[in-house]
Amino acid sequence: MSRSYGRYALLRAAQAVVVILLAYIGTFLVISVLPGDPITNMLRDPQNGLTDDEIQQIVAHYGLDKPVVIQLILSLGRFVTGDLGFSLQSNLPVSQLLGDALPSTLTLAGTALLLSVAIAVVIAYGVQYLPSRWARGVLRSVPSLFLSVPNFVVGLILIEIFAFRLHAFTTIDPDSAAATLFAALTLAIPVSAPLAEVLIANLDHESRQEYALVARSRGLSQARLFARHLVKPSMLPAVAMIALIVGELLGGAVITETIFGRDGLGTVVQKAVTSQDVPVLQAVVSLAAVVFVTVNLLADLASPLLDPRLDAKSERDAKSERKVVVPV
Amino acid sequence: MTSLTGLVAPTERIRAAGRSAVRVPPTVAIAAVVIIIVLLWSLVPWLFTSYDPSVGDTAEKLMAPSGAHWFGTDHLGRDVFARVVHGTASSVTSALVAVSIGLVVGSIIGLASGFLRGAVDVVLGRVVDVLLAIPSFLLAVVIVSSLGFQTINAAIATGVSAIAIFARLMRAEVLRARGSVFVEASYLQGGNRLHALLGHILPNTYKSVIALAVLQFGTSILVIASLAFLGYGDPPPASDWGLLVASGKSYATAPWLIYAPALVIVITVLSVNRISTWLRRTQ
Repeated sequence: MSRSYGRYALLRAAQAVVVILLAYIGTFLVISVLPGDPITNMLRDPQNGLTDDEIQQIVAHYGLDKPVVIQLILSLGRFVTGDLGFSLQSNLPVSQLLGDALPSTLTLAGTALLLSVAIAVVIAYGVQYLPSRWARGVLRSVPSLFLSVPNFVVGLILIEIFAFRLHAFTTIDPDSAAATLFAALTLAIPVSAPLAEVLIANLDHESRQEYALVARSRGLSQARLFARHLVKPSMLPAVAMIALIVGELLGGAVITETIFGRDGLGTVVQKAVTSQDVPVLQAVVSLAAVVFVTVNLLADLASPLLDPRLDAKSERDAKSERKVVVPV
Repeated sequence: MTSLTGLVAPTERIRAAGRSAVRVPPTVAIAAVVIIIVLLWSLVPWLFTSYDPSVGDTAEKLMAPSGAHWFGTDHLGRDVFARVVHGTASSVTSALVAVSIGLVVGSIIGLASGFLRGAVDVVLGRVVDVLLAIPSFLLAVVIVSSLGFQTINAAIATGVSAIAIFARLMRAEVLRARGSVFVEASYLQGGNRLHALLGHILPNTYKSVIALAVLQFGTSILVIASLAFLGYGDPPPASDWGLLVASGKSYATAPWLIYAPALVIVITVLSVNRISTWLRRTQ
């Protein structure tokens, strides 16, 4: 396995780099080729108080007077060397802006990830083992409810109930532990739904297997059977979903941070969109692509190790045929 | 009913199973009614409310829901139910535009990848990878900021961010169908590639693609509502559902301004998802 695995790993890593570069180019084209010229509009906006000299400098730095292809090559060259440019809005280096915002978003997204896994496991466990058939049925439809509620509605309801009525946290101090927890919950609820659906489908499948019957006949309690035998095989498809979830978390952060008034990457995006701050937008999207592709790569590389039955080749085939649709 | 199934002969059971497959479960029927009402709201809103969505009576501002104003009134005394009903057309149409873009472009990409394979598959595969690599909501935000803040642009952005998921499903379905025995038989009987594609492969893929399209209709409503909520759609006095929630959140004393449009969004999307699940299961 090791040799073919090494080759598989290398190939996947190379593929990941290509996708990141293409994502950068794609974003660049979307921002600069589509109608409307955000940079020039923004520069010419009298409110910025930029002198003609300063405008000339910025135009020269970004090569805005040159053809798009040259601009793209310049921009790509800077990206590869780690230079993300300067924010048009604040004149700060983009890397500094993102660096300042990152810890807040990582805390939020990390907490949300843990919460969503916890919620999904609780739902999946309940669907299998709740004593009442009626309760199991209700619980089974919870993921589809979670998928139907917009992120911002969840946030507003949580704020309304827990901040305004129960005073469990205040929106004035969005970085407090309690406020972070509720913001993370807002982000976690829609994300937990597809995870729960996959877990439910796989637990349904695994608990019908003969080894589960054998284990039960040996007198294993349901909780033990669940923890010892069923969780591991059911988690594998969930691990493959982790990259999709990370993407959801990054996208959802834009709204969650806006609602809870947190200063994070989402707020940076929001400000950059309103002020047409192109270098910041470009950097955030590229960063998101890097994170997404890296997590995806790690999940792909981990799968054959988690399940020895998947050798590198069949894993590759399975992945390319994998449907995005959540199983019924 | 269940206690009897063990007693009837196997053939009877099979026949019963055949019949029940066509039968529509009650939850699906309710979902269908909801969707029909929502579609009617978007086509003939004036049949459902006599209030003007953009003119209000300031003497009646911020009134709680009542018999006269089902969803209450907003800070200008406008009837919230009227605003929701009149905002439906924009919300539903933009979701339809988004799904159409994703469905058409995604299906063509997936079809070309899966049917032609080779270099086409490799190139289009990378395009799809890239679209998937950017979180779809972030992608929609970037596109709408580049196109300009209008509801139609929000719809286009949502559609573009859904292309990848359609392309992947279509490719998988085409690969599945083209490997099947009946396609091979068609070739053996002298059928050409175009015939196999149109006569055998496409008819065997559209069902799951349609189920995904229905699901994406619900997702698109959510995404467009989110974009409108952030202020990336048409500005007020437009009354897109997401925009209604956004403007309602400044009035803490009038929670119905948030809950009423939010409830409409949730019930609509829930119904759409229910129908999509049913479509997928009855294949």
